[in-house]
Amino acid sequence: MNADAPHAAAGRVGDRPRDLPMARSMCWHCQSEVPGEYFCAKCVKVQPLSKDLDYFTCLNLPRALNLDEQALEDTFHALSRTFHPDYFATKDDSEKAISLGNTALLNAAYRTLKDPIRRVEYLIHLEAGSAGTIRTTPPADLFDEILELQERLDAFRALSPDDAPERRQTLREQLRHDRRSLEDRKAQLDARLSDQCTKWDALQAGAGDDAAVRAQKDEILTAMRALLSNRTYVTNIVHDLAETAG
Amino acid sequence: MAYSDKVIDHYNNPRNMGSFRKDEDGVGTGIVGAPECGDVMKLQIKVEDDTIVDAKFKTFGCGSAIASSSLATEWLKGKTVGEAGAIKNTDIVQELNLPPVKIHCSVLAEDAIKAALNDYQKKGDAASDAAQPATSKAGA
Repeated sequence: MNADAPHAAAGRVGDRPRDLPMARSMCWHCQSEVPGEYFCAKCVKVQPLSKDLDYFTCLNLPRALNLDEQALEDTFHALSRTFHPDYFATKDDSEKAISLGNTALLNAAYRTLKDPIRRVEYLIHLEAGSAGTIRTTPPADLFDEILELQERLDAFRALSPDDAPERRQTLREQLRHDRRSLEDRKAQLDARLSDQCTKWDALQAGAGDDAAVRAQKDEILTAMRALLSNRTYVTNIVHDLAETAG
Repeated sequence: MAYSDKVIDHYNNPRNMGSFRKDEDGVGTGIVGAPECGDVMKLQIKVEDDTIVDAKFKTFGCGSAIASSSLATEWLKGKTVGEAGAIKNTDIVQELNLPPVKIHCSVLAEDAIKAALNDYQKKGDAASDAAQPATSKAGA
């Protein structure tokens, strides 16, 4: 595609800090040292990104939940151009493989951080090491409610339209009402999740990571985990209600 | 990925689907959920003289979750409370030939058994506490 691809592509990210950790401190090809560069300064071969790279670091973003979406897009596009396999079509197999590997990591990072819910899940996954294995109390009230609703759904499914049109209509109305109230509940859960995200970002932006801050962070992570779980249950039942009763 | 024949069989012909009244004597109820996928499972046991005489389940989730709980109720029947506590999710995985991505369904079934046994024990303790003042009638 472009014979000078490595040079040209590297130039495009020139205004971004090039401090992504590489898989090794030496060029895999010519063994010269390539600290913090995507391409070896000597032999111009592309370098593999470290497999331990977390997605926030990969996209040059702070570990925050209300993130700068424009920065996310810009960095993603710049790095995509840098590592895009098209630029390596004429290179040797090792370079092709590195380009593919870096691109795969980049795509996974972008897809995860772009979606606000997956972003929270990923953060919990990253931080869970410090919070221990986060276990939340199962929401017993919610389960009771879901089981009751599922039984109502079963009753509705069992009614044939010819048999009991009126009874069917009444049940359908009721199920639609249930769905609306659950959608409200989901909106409330989302609002609470958003509050926790803001709290997390404030702590993250603050100075220090002493025991007190860590405890507060763990508390937020646990709260977020519980909210996400409830959200999954509510989303499922809303989906079932919508599918069956409209 | 295809479901094993055993999973399909339990899915098409679930054993012991249904429920007991929660407040019925000797009934223990376990309701658990998997936060990853949003499946919800209810498993109930009916105990007489320390033996599980009947078991029922209701599961809202994927085929593997339904099969795991259906199989669990089959296994529970006739076991003592102690034996029931020894059922492991790995036994379910093996019997149903569950793939790695569905192992959490068997964990859910084990959790449901434990929760039902706990509930039964708790009810028993509460009943014997309540029965304390009436010990004079115990021999009847």
